[in-house]
Amino acid sequence: MRLEDLRECVQKGLDSVKQEKTEIEVFASWNELITMRLNYTSDIPSGGLQEPKSSQFSGIAVSSAFSDRGKTSLGFGSQANELRPRGVMEAFRKAKRGRFYDPDFRSLPSPAGSPTLVDYHDPAILDISDKEAVDLGWKALEGALRAFQEAGIKESIIVGGDVCILKELVAIKSTTGIDTFDVSTILTVAITTMVEKEGVKGTGWATSTKLAGFDPALAGREAALSAIRTIGGKRLPPGRYEVVFGSQPITDMMANVIAPSLSLTTVNASNTPFLGKLGQRVTAPNLSIYDDGSLPGQIGSKKVTCEGLPTGRTDLVQEGNLVGFLANHYLGRKFSSNVATFVPRNGFRFHGLGRTYEMQAGVFPTNLVLEGRPEATTEELFRGIKEGVYIGRIWYTYPINGLAAGDFTSTVIGDSFLIKDGQISTPLKPNAVRINDNINRVLQNIVSVGREKKAIQVWSAEEAVIAPEIRVEGVRLDSISAGTA
Amino acid sequence: MKNIFGIEALEGAKSGIREAIDYARSLKDCRYADLRVGLVETRTASSENGNPKIAREDVHSSFGVRVIAGSPQTEAWGYYAQPLNKAELGGRALWKTLRQGIDRAYQRAIASSHRKQALRELAPALSPVRLAPVEVRKDTVTARFEEDPRQISTKEVLSEAMNITRQAKSVSPEMRFAFLMMATGLTRELFLSTEGTELDQAYALTNATLLVVAQKGSAIPESFIDHIGSHGGWEAVRGKNVYNKSFLDFALERARDTAELAGAEFLPSTEEPVTVVTEPHFNTLLVHEIIGHPTEADRALKMETAYAGRSWLLRRLDDNEFGKQVASPLITAFSDPTLEGYGNYKYDAEGVPGRRVTLIEKGILRGFMNSRETAAILAQEPNGSMRATACHYVPLVRMTNTVIAQGDRNPQDILSEVEEGYYVVNHRIPSISESRENFRMSAQKVYKIENGRLTRLYRGGGITSDSREFLMSIDAVGNDLVVLPIPNCGKGQPMQVMRVGNGGPTLRGKARLTGEYTR
Repeated sequence: MRLEDLRECVQKGLDSVKQEKTEIEVFASWNELITMRLNYTSDIPSGGLQEPKSSQFSGIAVSSAFSDRGKTSLGFGSQANELRPRGVMEAFRKAKRGRFYDPDFRSLPSPAGSPTLVDYHDPAILDISDKEAVDLGWKALEGALRAFQEAGIKESIIVGGDVCILKELVAIKSTTGIDTFDVSTILTVAITTMVEKEGVKGTGWATSTKLAGFDPALAGREAALSAIRTIGGKRLPPGRYEVVFGSQPITDMMANVIAPSLSLTTVNASNTPFLGKLGQRVTAPNLSIYDDGSLPGQIGSKKVTCEGLPTGRTDLVQEGNLVGFLANHYLGRKFSSNVATFVPRNGFRFHGLGRTYEMQAGVFPTNLVLEGRPEATTEELFRGIKEGVYIGRIWYTYPINGLAAGDFTSTVIGDSFLIKDGQISTPLKPNAVRINDNINRVLQNIVSVGREKKAIQVWSAEEAVIAPEIRVEGVRLDSISAGTA
Repeated sequence: MKNIFGIEALEGAKSGIREAIDYARSLKDCRYADLRVGLVETRTASSENGNPKIAREDVHSSFGVRVIAGSPQTEAWGYYAQPLNKAELGGRALWKTLRQGIDRAYQRAIASSHRKQALRELAPALSPVRLAPVEVRKDTVTARFEEDPRQISTKEVLSEAMNITRQAKSVSPEMRFAFLMMATGLTRELFLSTEGTELDQAYALTNATLLVVAQKGSAIPESFIDHIGSHGGWEAVRGKNVYNKSFLDFALERARDTAELAGAEFLPSTEEPVTVVTEPHFNTLLVHEIIGHPTEADRALKMETAYAGRSWLLRRLDDNEFGKQVASPLITAFSDPTLEGYGNYKYDAEGVPGRRVTLIEKGILRGFMNSRETAAILAQEPNGSMRATACHYVPLVRMTNTVIAQGDRNPQDILSEVEEGYYVVNHRIPSISESRENFRMSAQKVYKIENGRLTRLYRGGGITSDSREFLMSIDAVGNDLVVLPIPNCGKGQPMQVMRVGNGGPTLRGKARLTGEYTR
């Protein structure tokens, strides 16, 4: 698919359905997600690169605001895999048939500023061949297996994970003046390894927007070395501990508990722990959180949102105070007033496989960045911890009693250690500790925030979290699975 | 024909698909290929607080191809998928699109086979893909419904959704938010393989997901999400579903419960296990997480290690829990796609007839749900448990209607025998350990039981336990099994969200309470 064809489709399509007293927005997208999924088990016959696969998605979405006898009716229609003006006409017909009066609807988006991130995709990714894609998957596996070989480990090995290549093309044009397009390319590798008889698990990640320098073998190697490092892990008695969370646990908590709470979607539903707390202290004063979809080189970055508006920085928490929420155009207009405005920088149509024509724009994070003031070196982060825990990877993190209550739980599945006298010491046995705490308390009990940050994407999330390591006091850890772990 | 790009359109596609399968047979070193072509036709609407939010009519068609190809010692999988449009579903255009897809999948398989060969010294467990043999089938399965979803307009769906959220929002002054997403539609899928299997299956689906939020004063808001639906037409909305309730009555009941809970105390947690009686709605999710997932063969064979985790039931092929006691002798569990429920179908996504699989028999582990590939590795018969969310996704081993079998106790008797304990009602959110060996799961409501009576209602509570410990502690099983819908089981990469049926009768066992110690 060529971008020029997509742009011509929205241009000619809009021309063919334009009519008086009707606002119309035409969105066209073409995506391809290529996934190289690994599965190698040294003790069970296995395929290595288990699933070299891809899915394409393309189609048209039309949003229309019809003026009917003094009221404005809203309509939405989509047409799959028909990137031609007749696809736009069919989607428009559906929008017209299904139109309704929504009292919260104000208008379709209008132009607002210029994008700062332009021409940031990699043509080499758009043109990647099947053989090159397959090679990337096998390289990740080989990287992990070479590291195990060097350590003399031949049995009880598991290597899983994937290399993903996402290509996204969108074009948007509306009667309200939006006329834009976007091309993005994303590469991710996430590898998990185990030496199962030792009960250890390690992980390695990398993300990039460019093919050059993207090295899946390195992520495989990192995953294997991480597993090897945690051989001989110990269990932990239950209690409250001083914990240094690594970048992955911070990402998991952000993606599943904190970011959803910082969205106007959950404000709209009265279902966030931050309801009514705009302007108030919600975290320790040494933490700031913002979302920025215009950061160069980050995989959550886009030129424009799926509403055709420029991406950019939205401050959410500034030195502990709640200062904003993520917004799309619809909810931004609904909730803006003379005391608070919400700039719509996060209206995206994500559907698990990139930007999709199938839905209207919801609210999604892009690149969530956590910063400290001041920021600590790794040594400073650990300094003074007499007995604590470094948690490097958690799993199945959920707001167990609903978002608004703030309670969350999660299990520690690898990459973790005990801390003694300010130093990493004995590995922590994987799958033997459950975190049971409340996110409000964790955020208030932050002691320090690390300087080093890593961009990580968790399973099935669209956003990247640019996450530091964070030290928190008094985290409740429970001992689990003594009989089976 | 009213809608020429409805599910009838697939009728004209069959000859093109047959040609494409013939083409796959002709490719050098291609040992196997299958093609799935599907079309989904739905009307969807959503409403919040009585106001309309979404009204859509959608038709989506897509195909997925799987190929096994390469040199005999290193045969490998290759896959490809893409959507189809109206023009492509007719005749020659389809054949051309499918052939291109087969070529892409084949090239990936060949490239992967070469790399497998090169890495065999470093990775001696690398093996050619083997599928357990199955009988060749030709069959047509017709969708069952009373009120055809295609005859329901989007405006009717929207109107129903608006009425439900308007009334749900009005049940109490404490109600802050009522949202409903509702859909009705038909799906048809064709499956053809190079082995000669040729299937044409269709089903209807009508469902709704509800979110209600209530708040008393400035207290922490109470929210609840639940789902209702069936493999049927619009009649499901009026009460022809497993709850035997109209969607409206279902929503009003959930809204009233949530409003009541907004004023309840939070459950205190316990450090030691206590007696808990868990009811069928709660057990639906419990069975899903601690019996269903660990008995999926792909997970047991470590294929999901990087995503949804492994299974504590199988460490190695020669070191596992088969034939061993993993639950109380009162517990028998099975998975059965022939039962009514969200896991109901005749053939799976590999063309294998779905059949009942005994997972646990009187506490002893007996079987796994499997695919043809995992069945070959485990030297078992394929049992037809492979499904994909849509044809453009790769099939995975999935639960069907996976349940704990009915016991012989009256649920009221199970409760009345408890001197001191807790009654755990309606599932909410699960958090499960990596190999499903431990769980923490929240409930919508928890009641204190004192001398066989429910005395006090709590919110924000649930239970936690090691899975084996909880299953072994069961000392009573009720006679009230129902198969309830779980609409959103996530698995795979990219994640696929799948409908499954789960259920469990009232159970009595021991677990720690989770609640207020976390606040």
